[in-house]
Amino acid sequence: MMERPLRNATLLRMGLRASLLQATWNYERQQGLGWAFALAPAIERLYADPAERRDRLAEHTAYFNTQPTLASLALGAVAGLEERRAAGGGVDHEAVARVKVILGSSLAAIGDRLFWFTLRPFSACLGVLVALGGSWLGAPLMWVCYNLFHIGLRLFGVGWGFRAGPTVLNPQVRGRFNRLVGSLAVAGAALVGVVVAVLLVPGGQPATLVFQALLAAGLSLGLIAAQRARPSPTEWALGTGLLCVIATWFR
Amino acid sequence: MNLGLLATVLLGGLAALDAAPVAQTLFSQPLVTATLLGWVWGEWKVALETGVVLQILAASTLPVGARTPEDYASGGVVGIGVALALASQQPFQMAREASVLIGVLVGLLTAVGGVRLLKWQRRSHESLSRWCEAEIRRGDESALARAHRAAILLAFAVGMAYCAVCLAVGLWAGSGLVAHESLRLSRAWAMARPLWLGLGLAQLLSAFIQRRLSRAAVFGFALIGAWLVLMVGMP
Repeated sequence: MMERPLRNATLLRMGLRASLLQATWNYERQQGLGWAFALAPAIERLYADPAERRDRLAEHTAYFNTQPTLASLALGAVAGLEERRAAGGGVDHEAVARVKVILGSSLAAIGDRLFWFTLRPFSACLGVLVALGGSWLGAPLMWVCYNLFHIGLRLFGVGWGFRAGPTVLNPQVRGRFNRLVGSLAVAGAALVGVVVAVLLVPGGQPATLVFQALLAAGLSLGLIAAQRARPSPTEWALGTGLLCVIATWFR
Repeated sequence: MNLGLLATVLLGGLAALDAAPVAQTLFSQPLVTATLLGWVWGEWKVALETGVVLQILAASTLPVGARTPEDYASGGVVGIGVALALASQQPFQMAREASVLIGVLVGLLTAVGGVRLLKWQRRSHESLSRWCEAEIRRGDESALARAHRAAILLAFAVGMAYCAVCLAVGLWAGSGLVAHESLRLSRAWAMARPLWLGLGLAQLLSAFIQRRLSRAAVFGFALIGAWLVLMVGMP
């Protein structure tokens, strides 16, 4: 079997550079520049001719956007395509651009649900639950819980995408991600229940009635606020905080 | 300058980096910065109380798509820093609770105000990316690395400067209030804390449940089960 020009060390360098995918995020090209920077180790290895290499790099600075952790899978898949393109395997600029668009949007759809809507809130709940007991271990627990997936996928996702190619997000993998999202969401709902119970009964003693009533009011307000994009939760929190200050001022 | 304040400003720069430009490992989340600042200031209770409220609210703020979310990296550091600095001058519990309330409010205001700054940075990256492409086409491949270095340096400097300004304003406004109105502020904290926790937890619950009744039932069972265990003890 012929050895492929891109080795594991190059893929790992790409994974490390993917940490800077968002560093130059802008409204025009979004992650475009970060994408080119992350892909540069592969381009440098594949194209010996400086003019051709510069052309490829400049092409990759075009618009790109996806969920930043899962971008590693797309990076690996596109590096594989660039490898075939450099070897004259019938891959052209349009094919690479098409794969970037398709993978970018489908990875964003799954990544947003997995990382922003479930894993991050789940890790935060876990950390908060421990911190509510007064322990400093909540923060390390939250960090480890999130980064087991985040750093793992970021570093090794490039190799995965490279080996699987443009079909990296096949129905089987998509199903696995969906099951993971579902399980985390169920565990997260249970975790929120436990956090609420801990707030209601801190240290084995029931909280005051006023506290319980205000917590219930906050939960109800939050569930109503969650149905609308505006005002944001932060604006709601600012408003309620200022109202509390005003209420105690004039009591 | 106080060593604790200096460390808080430095942490503001590092948190600004982790929030989006570098790695996004949750190092910038309020609970993590609260733990670090609690260790620096030697005051866990105030740091964790402020951090928990800000963390629950931060967790429900999602950086999805092109939306610029509130800047909880700076908000967390500034809010916790203000609470710790104010509480360090107060020996009484009531005044410390007032400090935590001021800390959370300053943190929220900093997070909201930071959105404009983030948007400005993102706009300034537009010309950086155009410059970078032109340089690459002209033959300078190192432009990519230089552009990234510049963006990271900018994010760090802006993060530190923003934290320093907000910290100074928060301490200036908060110290008089805590010194003279601690009773009222402590009462306001007793009201605001459960409201904030409930508000944030409801947002998280909504993200987990996604209008599925089975997940809502799991929440209910977990709540009742944990409540019974805490009230009655393990069977």
